[in-house]
Amino acid sequence: MAILSPSRAVNPRLGSYFGIFLSGFAAIALTSLILQGLGVDLSILSLAMLLGPIALYAGIGIATHASDPLDFFAAGRRVPAFFNGLLLAMSAFGATGLVALTGLFFLIGYDALFVGIGALGGFVVMAVLLAPFLRKFGAFTIPSYLGRRFDSRPLRLATALVAAIPIVMVLSAELRFAAEAAIVLTGWSHGQAFLVLYLVLLVTLVPGGMRSMTWTGVAQSLAAFFAVMVPVIIVAAIVTTMPVPQLTHGPVLRAVGRNEAIQGLPIILPPGMAFDLPGPELQPIMKRFADPFGALGPAAFVLGTLSMIAGVASAPWLLPRLAAAPGVYEARKTLGWATFIFGVAMLTAASIAVFMRDFLMDLIVTPGPAVVPPWLAELAKRGFASITETGTQFTASSISFARDSVLLSLPVAAQLPPMLLDLSLAAVIAGALVAAGAASTALGHILSEDILFGGTWETPHGPVRIHAGRGGIAVAAAAGVLAAAFVMTDPLRVVLCALSICGSALFPVLVLSIWWKRMNAFGAMAGLLTGFLVALLTIAGGQGESAAIPSALAAIIGIPSAVAAIFAVSLATPPPSRHVLQIVRDIRVPGGEILYDREMRTQRLKKLRQLS
Amino acid sequence: MGTSRKDGGGTNRMIERKERKPYWRHTKWQMLASLAPFFAVIIILPLYADRLNSNKFLGFPLGYFLAAHGLVLIAVVTVASFVRQQDAIDHWHGAHEDN
Repeated sequence: MAILSPSRAVNPRLGSYFGIFLSGFAAIALTSLILQGLGVDLSILSLAMLLGPIALYAGIGIATHASDPLDFFAAGRRVPAFFNGLLLAMSAFGATGLVALTGLFFLIGYDALFVGIGALGGFVVMAVLLAPFLRKFGAFTIPSYLGRRFDSRPLRLATALVAAIPIVMVLSAELRFAAEAAIVLTGWSHGQAFLVLYLVLLVTLVPGGMRSMTWTGVAQSLAAFFAVMVPVIIVAAIVTTMPVPQLTHGPVLRAVGRNEAIQGLPIILPPGMAFDLPGPELQPIMKRFADPFGALGPAAFVLGTLSMIAGVASAPWLLPRLAAAPGVYEARKTLGWATFIFGVAMLTAASIAVFMRDFLMDLIVTPGPAVVPPWLAELAKRGFASITETGTQFTASSISFARDSVLLSLPVAAQLPPMLLDLSLAAVIAGALVAAGAASTALGHILSEDILFGGTWETPHGPVRIHAGRGGIAVAAAAGVLAAAFVMTDPLRVVLCALSICGSALFPVLVLSIWWKRMNAFGAMAGLLTGFLVALLTIAGGQGESAAIPSALAAIIGIPSAVAAIFAVSLATPPPSRHVLQIVRDIRVPGGEILYDREMRTQRLKKLRQLS
Repeated sequence: MGTSRKDGGGTNRMIERKERKPYWRHTKWQMLASLAPFFAVIIILPLYADRLNSNKFLGFPLGYFLAAHGLVLIAVVTVASFVRQQDAIDHWHGAHEDN
């Protein structure tokens, strides 16, 4: 049987296709702007801003249907580094980044950087410690990788069950953000919004699994990027005369700083482990923007960064992306693009927050009696902000903002046409769909590959495998929607806890499975379960106000305990077999056949021999 | 990417057995060389932002600028240099993919 080259041909027309998509998206936005000028009803235009892009995503999703397992589970392993990196960055950023991170920057300024730095560090660690090796192995899911790497079916099942929990948490958080945005756009009820989102997930993911997810995800990422950039670029051009908000919000930030000093915003010196992350409720700004540490203590900032690094590097909804890279070299390059694109997204969020604070501080320092300007009245009417006391003069504490509405407040505060608010909402929905798509596909593949067919190493032949994969995705998306509809915890906290669980349970096992040859299946199992249980206990114990370790930082206890368990149990049990050692040796070398494909090939040969 | 010591012509050439150990040693050092400075910077730099903030760069308070823009740049450069170096290591030991 001919051996396929490990590097596969890339479609040369991808750039044109997505150019066409982006033009279509821009056309929807511009048509909406023109029709609005002609006096068409705003609610119809908002509905078009929701359904128009969704129709485009659905078209791409159906056009990229797949019936070959390699296409369905790994997008044919021919996603070039740039597109793969874009997807990786945006599925990590998601609506959580767009909405909650922007709000965090606005409310606590510098301290919010720990989220961004942590994710960037996570990508660097993923690039160096995990990506090339997981790509060389080529498994479609993380449980498949660990199971085959240690030749242990119980480990595969345990990993599947443990990984499913953080994936559902992230999925539910993203869907919550998407539903809120859809409700602002259309005025639907929660039930209607969740139903529509579920249908969107089905039509964009089920036809082609990972292949559909990849190409609709690229479209959604581009749409989210475009739609979030346009309003802030316009505001930057008005305020600073330069259309590069990421690099030019410096002078604005200094003006904000001066006004904060005039206003006498306190400089807080928090205890080292303080971790006072603002929730989604309405609240006034807490501290000066550029001054480090007020909401978070220095120790909590560093530990939060490290916890994010471990979580992002081992996130089971991000790592399957690497199996879609055309080769090991491209998998490393994927992470380069992901780092760059995530960095730009994070700096955009920061600049939106700075411009928004500038509008607020300008209003506060204006001397004279407090007059509520029209934009603030509009924000208050929409529930994005509230004016708690109207004395003779505004102060920083008299105006409260909702964390998750800061991104949406910018076009209103800059008094841009209402269409740009719709565009920001479309960005939130697109960002949420990328992350939710990545999470549903990852969970769906785990459900079908590792739980349904997890009892045996032999994969089923023919269309059964694809149908099971489709069913898995539908079930996974349904689980996410149900969790989103019934769990009312702050979504940002949910995402941070999910990353903590990944960091504790999966990060040590995944890293050591490549870098420590002596580790065996018992050690892996012990590390997985120890990390998971310790993280759960720490999260449960960290709910209180005065807890020693905040729930979001559970990984800082989980990781050391998991590492200790891995070493202790591995060394106390017999060393791994020669077969397993051979797998590790092969994972470490980029050249040669993809291990997963080799195993599939030997299975096929065995079957043929039995038949003849 | 030129520095190949042995240039086998086969389509499915594997790394030679005796090259595996040196290849992995080289890879481990590269891993440390990429991660150690990066971790040192991302842990230490944000803690000193306060003192740097009195300086200005591009209109930004310097501490904030370094912790936001600076760390993005450092992360991108770290990954890019890792990709280049590790690719050179792969070719040197004949461990690269065939294409």
